[in-house]
Parts: sequence; structure tokens; C-alpha cells
Amino acid sequence: MHSAMFKGKAMTRFLCALSILSLAQSAWAAPDAQGILKDSDQARGGGLPGIVWEIKLASRDGDKVDEPQRLIVKATDNSSVAEVQEPARSKGTKLLQVERNMWLTRPGLSKPIPISPRQRMSGQASNGDIAATNYAGDYEAQMNGTEAIDGEPCHVLDLVAKHKRTTYDKIRYWVSVKRGVALKAEFISLSGKLLKTARFDYENAIEHEGKRIPFVSKMTIRDALIDAETTMQFGAVKVNKVAASEFDLGQMQ
Amino acid sequence: MKLAALVLGLCATLAVADEPAWRTSWDGTLYGYANTTSLRGDSVLNPGNRIAHLAQRSEVAELRMNLKAENESVRLTARPIALIRETHNAFGSERYDDAYLSQWQVRVRAAEGWNVAAGRDVLNWGPAQFRSPSSPFYFDNGRQDPMRELVGMDSLKLTWTPDMQSSVSLVRVVRSGHGATQPDAWRDNWQMSWLMKFDRRGDEWAYGLVAAKAADRAAFLGAHGQATLSDALMLYGEVGSSVLARALQSPADAAQPFTVLSASPRRITALVGSSYTFEDGKSLAVEYLHEGHGYTSAQESAYFQRATNNPGMALGLAPRQLGRDYVHLVMQSNQMDERGFWRLMYTRNLTDGSKEIAAYGEAVLNNRISAFGLVLLPQGNAQQEFSALSRRSITLGLKIALP
Repeated sequence: MHSAMFKGKAMTRFLCALSILSLAQSAWAAPDAQGILKDSDQARGGGLPGIVWEIKLASRDGDKVDEPQRLIVKATDNSSVAEVQEPARSKGTKLLQVERNMWLTRPGLSKPIPISPRQRMSGQASNGDIAATNYAGDYEAQMNGTEAIDGEPCHVLDLVAKHKRTTYDKIRYWVSVKRGVALKAEFISLSGKLLKTARFDYENAIEHEGKRIPFVSKMTIRDALIDAETTMQFGAVKVNKVAASEFDLGQMQ
Repeated sequence: MKLAALVLGLCATLAVADEPAWRTSWDGTLYGYANTTSLRGDSVLNPGNRIAHLAQRSEVAELRMNLKAENESVRLTARPIALIRETHNAFGSERYDDAYLSQWQVRVRAAEGWNVAAGRDVLNWGPAQFRSPSSPFYFDNGRQDPMRELVGMDSLKLTWTPDMQSSVSLVRVVRSGHGATQPDAWRDNWQMSWLMKFDRRGDEWAYGLVAAKAADRAAFLGAHGQATLSDALMLYGEVGSSVLARALQSPADAAQPFTVLSASPRRITALVGSSYTFEDGKSLAVEYLHEGHGYTSAQESAYFQRATNNPGMALGLAPRQLGRDYVHLVMQSNQMDERGFWRLMYTRNLTDGSKEIAAYGEAVLNNRISAFGLVLLPQGNAQQEFSALSRRSITLGLKIALP
């Protein structure tokens, strides 16, 4: 009887240990790619109630340097409004993006002009790059091993667009294992051609739900096909709920 | 109106008391431009320029400012304009000075999703470029002349924006804004009217529904919509059903005289269009307009025949478009390119066959100064719409960004 009880307890302990080991092993073997992506979005404005930031854009195409631009951007996960501050001759021009709909307006214009997603700002920055990043909502992530970027171990994620509203069809995304922020991205066409690469720096920080989160301070985008580069510097970052009326065409005066 | 203004003022005062952190900004553009227009010597509508006294040359200096002050709850905006215009024709020269507020607004965030605004607002919307059939106030939307500034309608507006996808506005239109600069009988007829507008946006589409009603005239009903079919291709349309307050009837039998109706029959005006954006950002838009209030070919022909004896009535009471069907093409550079902009426009009146070719270009000279030019080339004879008054018009100028 005693021996039978002992055998039963030992079996239970063994099964528990086996389950814990098995869970730990599966967690170690396959980190949650979608979860890593979602966490990394926060450092680029995604998953927040709203964000307001200032972006300084500098572009170069070969030896030709474009005029620098400065924008104030208000964004939520799927909508953004960017208002040009510099150059002075374009001040007040606004680019409104709601889902895949886009409009351009400026002071004195008789009415907002609808524009197609293909009309983007000069340089390598796409309209999606100036808005908050919601890759977890827009892309399906799959883990593709680990790799170091500048000596920092990173998860390598392969992202495939869930719908056609996205700026890019596929992205290879390097997310720091330790810091949980994206350090590098490769933007790839549907046919598998590399279009652009981007590198990210995180010298900003935001407070959200009592946590201090590192926040993107610089994004450098390099064209893979021609010698062209755009640098976006992010400053004056504020986490703010942005009212829906900010994205209403009828109230953009 | 007074009560509403009082409520708005009270809301603004309370909001100001709560939110002391104001952000202010201003900017402006100084324009200097000159125009030369070659008038038709054989014009039927304006023989010898005796009816319209159109300018054959003009020089304009104009300052357009944008002022803004806002905090989290209140936003004040104003667009003051000051201009000096000298015009010259065979009868002599005239100087015209003016200063006015083209637009202004006080907007108060009254509650979550609710905004109340008072001011002078350009109540214009929809994706069409050639004309705006879905707006009761701005059928001619000014998009063909990049120099033209639309003056707003004096109005009170209550807007509910429950989410990113929807908004509803109720507007009390008081009067047509600064009428002296842009007298507009069409807009003046909407004094003390009500406007209701509903807008809805989805992933790749947007539409709006419009209804307007003044006490002594039939309601205006309109709608506009657009669909983004791909990164490059958009489809769009606008429609309006209206009764015009005044209609010059031109029977097809030229022997019969003009008659003027105080209210036209209800007619539909519709525009459908599509735009395609090329890889380099240039875009091509094609639009077709059907104007239900326009004349048929026989009616338009009879209109010009009658105008020979009565040009003042023909020109002064001319409908907003003489013809019934139009095609409008626009080819333009990337509108977001900071390095310059150009736009080519071709419009054909399918009813009488007249055409207008227009080209606008803007070259950036430095980060503050741009040079621009607009050329209009009507094609046709003196008894066709686009070519009835002039043979060509050329405008050249500079604009300087401030501060």
C-alpha cells in the first residue's frame, strides 16, 4: 500500500516535471514572433493611444541633396496627419492618411485633393514611414533564427503583408533580443527583390502605462537599387490620445 | 445665431480657463503677378468689351496670411488677405485695393467627439477637379485657376465625430462671406440656410452625403465618393440634384426670345472620374461632367444667335455652364514633390465642340521664392463657350514665403 502510494506520488512529480520541461523547451525553441513584433511596434509608435512627433527629413540622391523638410505628425495605428513646417513655402500643407485613403490639403486650397498611395513624399521615405508603425496589425510574422546586428543578438522575423493596404509586401525585420526594439529592416517586393534597407536608433524615451519605453530617434533608409538615402530624425515625441476629429477632412481648416 | 455665438463664446472661455498652454503660429505668402489677356474682337457676348469691361492687362500685389492659436480644446484660425490690383483696358485704368478675411474660425472641442465652430468656412468637398456638383455653394471650385482663392461662407457648425470612420455635421449658413471680392449670386441665394453632411470612410473608400435647404427654395441633395482600387488607380464621382434660383431659358427656336425663370426645373448634375498615378508620381485624371442645367446643342446655338441682339442679358444671366456634357483631362507632376510643380489641363465642351487648353507651372528658385506661370488657350469661335470672350491669357508671377 505504502509502496503503491509512493509510486503514485513519484509518477505525478515526474509528469509535472516533464510538462514544465516540455513547456520551457517549446518556449525556448519557438519564441512568439507575433508577440515580439507587437512589442517592438511600441518603440515606433504602434499600439499606443496616439502619438505626436516632429520629423526632420533629409534626403540625398547620388550627389544631389534635397532640401530638408520638417513635419509635425499626429498618428494612431491606422491614421495619420502630417503637417509641413519647413520649407517655409510649403508650411501648412497637410497629408491626411486614413486606412488606405489619402488626401493633400494646404491653406487656401479650394478643397482637399485625394491622392493615391503611389504619390509619396520626395526621397526614400514612404507615407507609411512617417506614421506610427503597426506591423503587428499589418503583417504576419514568422521567426527565422537569430543574427547579430552590430554585435547585438537579434531575432530575425519574416513579415508578410496581411492585406494590400501595407506600404511593403514583405519585410525582414531584426528585433533586439535584449531591448525588444527593431534595429534593421529590409523591405522586399512581392517578387522577392530587395527595395530598401533601414536602420533604427533609439535615443528617445516615452512614458506609457507607468513604463519607460525606448523610442525611435532616427531611421536611415537606403535604396537598394540606386545610390540614394533618406534620414528621418524623430523628436518632441508625446504619447497623447489624438481625437478622431483631427483626421476629419471637414475639420482640417 | 446670437444665442449660438454666446454659447460658443462661453465654451471657449471655459476651455481657455482650463487650458492655458497656447501654441501660436503664423506664416504668409506675398504674391506679385501680371496678366495679359487677348480679348476677341468679334465677340458676340462682349462686343468691343462694352458689356463686361474685362481687363486686358493687370498687375496684382497680394499678401495672404495664415494665423493660428490653439490649445487642447480651442483652435482659432484666420486667413487675412490684402491686395492691390491695377487693371487696364481700352477704356482706361482702374486701381482696386481690398483687405478682408478669406476664412476664419473659432473651434471648440465641446465634449468627446463633439466640436462647435463659428467662422467663415469654405464648404467645399468631394474628389472632382473640374467642377464640384456635390457642393451647393462652390460648383465652380476654382481648381482650374491655381491663383484663385475661394472666400468662405459665414456659418456655425456642429460636428459629431464618433470614430475615425464617420462624421456628421449640421451647419447654419448665415451668408456668403466677403461678397465684394467675389460677388456670387449663386452663393448669395443660400443665406440663412441649413446644411447637413454625413461622411463615412472605409479601408479603401470614402463617401459623403449632403442636403441643404433655405427657407424659400427647393432643397439641394448631393453625394460624393471615391475608391482606391490600387496604389495607382482611383475612381471617383460627385452628383447633385438642384433647383437654380434663376434660369435663362433659351428655346431651340432662335426666333423666340429669352425668358427668365425664377426657379429652374430640378436637374441632376453628375461627374465621374478616374486618376492613374505613374511610377514617378505623375498622375493623369480623366473626368466627365453631365450638367443637367446646361443647354442642348440647338439651345446653345440659339443662345448665341439671340445674344447678337441682347448681349447684356445673355452674358449677365448666362447659366453656370452653357453646355450639357464635358470632358476634362489633367496631367500633373507629383503634388508632394517639393522641387516644383506643373499641371496641364484640357477641357472640351462636347455640346458645342469648343476646347480650352491650360498649363500651370511653378519653379522653386530658393527655399522661399517660387516663380509661376499660367497660360489659358481657348480654342473655337465667337459662338462657342470657351472661346466666346478671349483668345488667350497669360499670367506670370513670383511668390515669396513669409516669415
